[in-house]
Amino acid sequence: MEIYLPVAEMSVNWLFIVALGMGVGFLSGMFGVGGGFLMTPLLVFTGIPSTVAVATTLSHVTASSMSGALSQWRRQGIDFVMAGVMLCGGILGTLAGVWLFALMRRQGQMDLIVALAYVLMLGSIGTIMLRESLATLKAYRSGITPSRRPMQRGWVQILPFKMRFRQSRLYISVIPPIIIGFVVGALSAIMGIGGGFIIVPAMIYILRMPTSVVMGTSLAQIIAVTAITTVLQATSNYAVDIILAGLLVIGGVVGAQLGVRAGARLRGEQLRLLLAVIVLTVAAGLAWQLVAPPTDVYSLSEAAP
Amino acid sequence: MKRLCLTLLGLLLIAPARAEDLVSGVSQDIIQITSNYTGTNIVVFGAIEGPQAAQGRDIVVVVRGPDEPMTVRRRDRVAGIWVNRDAARFEGLPAYYYLASTAPLSRIASQEALARYGIGLQALRPTQVGSHHDPEPFRQATIRYHKRVGLYTESPGSIDFLSETLFRTRVPVPAGVTRGQYNVEVYLFRDGQVVSVQSTPLFVDASGLERRLFNLAHDAPLSYGLACVLMAMLLGWISSVLFRRPA
Repeated sequence: MEIYLPVAEMSVNWLFIVALGMGVGFLSGMFGVGGGFLMTPLLVFTGIPSTVAVATTLSHVTASSMSGALSQWRRQGIDFVMAGVMLCGGILGTLAGVWLFALMRRQGQMDLIVALAYVLMLGSIGTIMLRESLATLKAYRSGITPSRRPMQRGWVQILPFKMRFRQSRLYISVIPPIIIGFVVGALSAIMGIGGGFIIVPAMIYILRMPTSVVMGTSLAQIIAVTAITTVLQATSNYAVDIILAGLLVIGGVVGAQLGVRAGARLRGEQLRLLLAVIVLTVAAGLAWQLVAPPTDVYSLSEAAP
Repeated sequence: MKRLCLTLLGLLLIAPARAEDLVSGVSQDIIQITSNYTGTNIVVFGAIEGPQAAQGRDIVVVVRGPDEPMTVRRRDRVAGIWVNRDAARFEGLPAYYYLASTAPLSRIASQEALARYGIGLQALRPTQVGSHHDPEPFRQATIRYHKRVGLYTESPGSIDFLSETLFRTRVPVPAGVTRGQYNVEVYLFRDGQVVSVQSTPLFVDASGLERRLFNLAHDAPLSYGLACVLMAMLLGWISSVLFRRPA
C-alpha cells in the first residue's frame, strides 16, 4: 500500500492519503470551504515537508472548488467581472507570496511563518465564528429573530475608480476588490489555502455583495488563484508533487460530494459552530507546537537551491 | 540469490595468489527506486586469502552515499516561541552512511587510526563549514538526526563468517535514500592497521514513472505545473458530473 512520491522523495501509504483527502473533502463539501487550511497542517503532521505540503494542497483546493463552482455557474451564481477584478490583485499577491515563500525558505523561517500565520488566522476566524454561531443559536432558542445590522456605507463608497458590477448589482471602486484579491493571493502562496474563509466574509461585509453570487464568485476566484499559484510553485520552488496531488484530489472530490449531502441536513448555525470548533482545534494544536519544547533543538534542512 | 551463490563460487575458484588479499563484491550494482519502493537490502560479501587468514584480522564494510550540502539550525526560545536562530552549513557530509564491522570499532583500531582512514561516524568531517559559531555541536546534531531517521548506522558485529575466510553482511537501504552514486568499501584490518581495501560503486536511481515525473518537475516545470492544474480541474469536473443530483 506504500507509494513513492517523486518530488517529496518519500514513501507514504496511499490509502491513508486518499482517506485524508476524503475526510478534508467531506468537511469542505459540508461547510463550503476549500479545506486547504486543514489539509496543509495535516500533511505536515504526517511528515510531508512543509514546502511540498503547501504547494501540493493547492491542487486539492482547485479540484474541490471546481465541482462547487460548476454547479454555481449553472444557476448563474458567478459574477465574472468581479472575479476578474479580484484576480488582477490576486496575480500580484501570488507573485509576492511565492517570492516571500522562497525567501523564507532560504532563511529557514518557513515553518515558523506558516505556523504563526495559521495560528493567528485560524484563531481569530474560529473565535469570531464561535461567538456568532453561539449568539444565533441562543437567539433562536429564546425565540427572537436576530436583527440584521443596518447597511454601513463607509470608506468603500468614497474611493475613486468606480466600476459597475451588473451581476452583483453594485457600483463601487475597484480598489477594495483588488486589495482583497492581493491579500488572498499572497496567503494562498504562503499557506497553501484557497482563502475562501477570508474572501466570503470580505465579500459580504466589505463589498456588500448579494449572498446569491458570493459563493460562486469566491469559488471562481479561488480556482484561478490556486491554479496560478500551483504553476508558480512548480516553476520556482519545484515543490508540487503530482502523485500526492492526484491521491488527495481523488479522495477530495468524492468526500466533497458526500459532504454536501451531509451538510444539507444540518442548520447553518450548527454547521458554523462545528466548523468553529474544528478550526480552533487546529489552531490550538499548531500553537502548542510553537511553544512546546522541541525534542531536539537542532533541525536539519536541505540547503536551499 | 542464485546469482550471489554463483559469484561467491566464482570468487573461491579464482583465488588470487598474493600473500594477503581481499576480494569482495556486492549483490547488486544498481538499486532502482520504483513506485512501491519501501527500502531494500544489499549483500556485501568477500573472502580473505592468505597464510594467516584467520588470526587477528577484522573486516569493516562502509557504504557511503553521495555528499549533500546540509544546513543545520538551532532553535532558541524567543518570547515563548521556539525560533530558528543560529545555523551552520556543511558540505562534504554523505546523505547515507552504513558501517558494519566484525567488532566494535574501538577494539579494531585506535581513534587516531580511524580518523586517519576516515572510518566511522565520528570520523565524518565536512570538507567545508559555513558557520559563525563553533560548528562541532551542529556536526553532532547532523549525525544524531541521520541516526534517528536511519540514514547513518554503525552496526558492529553484523558481519557473518561463512567459513574461515568467507564473510558476508546485509546492508539495509531505507526508503528515504538519495539518488546518486554510492560507494561500498571493504577494509581488512590486521593489528589495528588497514592492510587491504576494496571499493565498489553502487548506483541508486529512480526508474520508470517516478524518474520521468521527477525529471519533468525539474526540466519542464511549466508543463508539469499546468498538468497538475488540469488534472485537478478535470477530476473536479468529472466528480460534479458523476454526482450531479437528479434535478
